[in-house]
Amino acid sequence: MSSESHNRGKRSASQRVVISGLGVVSSIGIGIGRFAEGLQQGKVGARPITAFDTTGFSHALGCEIVDFEPDRWITALDPAELGRASQFSVAAAAMAIADAGLDADVLRDTHNVISIGTTDGESRDLDALVEAELRDGPEHMDPRLARHVPAGRLSTSVANELGLTDVEAITIPTACAAGNYAIGYGFDAVREGSARFALCGGADAMCRKTFTGFYRLGTIAPEACQPFDVNRKGILTGEGAGVLVLESLDSAVSRGARIYAEVLGYGINCDAHHQVAPNQASVGRCMQLALEDAGVKPAEVDLISAHGTGTKANDITEAGAIHDLFGEDVPPVVSVKSMIGHTMGAASALAAIACAIAIDRGFIPPTANHVETDPECGVDCVPNQAINADLHVVQNNGLAFGGNNSVVILGKHGEAAS
Amino acid sequence: MTTTADPPVLSAWSAVSGFGIGRAAFAAGLAAGAQVDTELDPDQWQVPVQRAALVPAFDARAELGRKGTRSMDRATALAVTAVGRLLNEECGEWQREIGENTGLVLGTTTGSAQSIMDFTRDSFEGDKPFFVDPARFPNTVMNCASGQCAIWYGLRGPNATVAGGRLAGLYALNYAARMLRGGRAETVLCGAVEEYSRARAWLEHHAGSGGDSGLLGEGCAIWKVEAGGGDGLAELLSVRFGVPDPSDPAATFTTVIKNALRMADAEAADLWAVSPCCAPGVYGDLERRALENVLVKPTPTRIVPGDLLGDTAAAGAALQVSAVLAVAESDRTAAGRLALVTGIDPEGAVGCAVLRLR
Repeated sequence: MSSESHNRGKRSASQRVVISGLGVVSSIGIGIGRFAEGLQQGKVGARPITAFDTTGFSHALGCEIVDFEPDRWITALDPAELGRASQFSVAAAAMAIADAGLDADVLRDTHNVISIGTTDGESRDLDALVEAELRDGPEHMDPRLARHVPAGRLSTSVANELGLTDVEAITIPTACAAGNYAIGYGFDAVREGSARFALCGGADAMCRKTFTGFYRLGTIAPEACQPFDVNRKGILTGEGAGVLVLESLDSAVSRGARIYAEVLGYGINCDAHHQVAPNQASVGRCMQLALEDAGVKPAEVDLISAHGTGTKANDITEAGAIHDLFGEDVPPVVSVKSMIGHTMGAASALAAIACAIAIDRGFIPPTANHVETDPECGVDCVPNQAINADLHVVQNNGLAFGGNNSVVILGKHGEAAS
Repeated sequence: MTTTADPPVLSAWSAVSGFGIGRAAFAAGLAAGAQVDTELDPDQWQVPVQRAALVPAFDARAELGRKGTRSMDRATALAVTAVGRLLNEECGEWQREIGENTGLVLGTTTGSAQSIMDFTRDSFEGDKPFFVDPARFPNTVMNCASGQCAIWYGLRGPNATVAGGRLAGLYALNYAARMLRGGRAETVLCGAVEEYSRARAWLEHHAGSGGDSGLLGEGCAIWKVEAGGGDGLAELLSVRFGVPDPSDPAATFTTVIKNALRMADAEAADLWAVSPCCAPGVYGDLERRALENVLVKPTPTRIVPGDLLGDTAAAGAALQVSAVLAVAESDRTAAGRLALVTGIDPEGAVGCAVLRLR
């Protein structure tokens, strides 16, 4: 693996990858405009969960989306034939290509990649199938729900909706780092010239199974998600999707596209240590791999969008890894999960979109619900109020069960064009 | 970052399937050509069918020991077993330090549907909805098997899970090739896994377009894939995918195969073997039509492990690739020639890979 710095200076415009479109389904806003406003205002999407029966849980808030109208975004397919996570991924992809000013006909002319990350796929439908089985027996499961289940449909449904056939539609279920994985995959495909466009991101729908698991681990916060706060009590589960359009700088310039940011590089590794608990040295190594791939020194990073779940263990480990790598020069470290909850496989995709917006609009999204910073974390998490900032390099962390880490580095497109 | 123009090389492989555990058992079973399905014990399997092609007498504890297997589900145990056989039987003496730059990419359909549904069932049936076993929570996430394999064998390189049903093995292979071309790993272990379970049997029963006509199987195939130029069993020349146009799915499939051959700088006449997935019902028909549009006489050797091992879902294309490697080892005419592996996933994608046998 190369450790040479400033790779990006050596890459030709055909090998440089930029973000030219964004699509968002989130609890603080659907569509890029509302999501950006929500980030700027420090809006919080928490509310009592209605996605499943919460009887028996002593607390059950989550960042659920209650105003999603699939018919508005899904026109070629019958939304009822898609699980909720696939509905989210299709809607976000449709928004992203519209935002990129791309006609589906242009997409149909070239070979493209659709890479969608997820934690749970359509586990929400599996929950419903279990409920039906317990009530009526396994012979009475709903065949339509059973057809929703294969996770590959989160990406192939995007192709079906857009009428794309010459396309690699890949679903990457690497849990809570899956969004960054999908961005990295699209980045490599565009950079090596095997895809003109990559529609990449992540999607997940809130489900009983995952809420229950985190609740049992004692990691569901009773009221608010408070990353890096001394009194943080855990995550709030969330849902949604984020999709980014990636293409080469050449391609974007030639079609006069608006460029949000450049993807400078990414890192990917595995703790090989524990299924649930992150490993500080390995997380640090992943950040280092990402910075080397991007050709960026730690001191050049202006902002870290942390995995920042708001659990005791994650935030200490992640902050520790950041301190190890950045030394005396730790930039602001924020967590958008404080606003949109933990959207699982969508989390690092939505956070990457937040980073692209932050670079494009010149502000740092705040860490909401913040009262008192945990001295053991010792980071400036930009409490509660967004601040204006000229951001050149932003780092987006994604950590997952299975020790699956992926870190994406974005840069300002002014530098991309130079 | 280093890149290499040479195609990645598959240098070793192993498999767990209805033929048994390990490379030798797989090769012997394939050569024998006998179906491996058995009558299911109705006390153990409350499923809507009587037969399945299970890994014979598979027991995670017997295979892997008691430590670390108490909460392990079947899909993960199959994967940990297959990766272990690859590393310990096919790759010389495995040492954990080698794992530092070794990646792992595993294909799946939806992880372990059984683990996911059992967890939710416990939540519904317990006195409290959170009376669930926390040690089994990681099993309900689709990257469980790849994460566990990394822990067992110290694999610290890129670790990814890809979901693609019957094509999952080809998605994994393409992912691995991309990691190697991009210099993100020196070696990637790669393959796909599917378990047989009560949950899967019922889901297939309800979702399957062909009713219960298809025999379900299970297994895991895994290869060691390295950056090009070195010794090995086969080179990966191209992998190509598409999503069928509903008005003419066979045309999409045909184009995908032709593009893969073009990317491999190959012609249909260069093919020594073809390994189709031969899915039941309309999907198999589509694949047959697409291949008829492409193949020329003399027809290449047909290698169809699915005829013997059943529908192994996510393990399907992976077992096809391993079957090609197994047959090539005993066929002298294969060396230097090409093999085409094709697959189609219900309501999903089509895809294929072109390999050159060494």
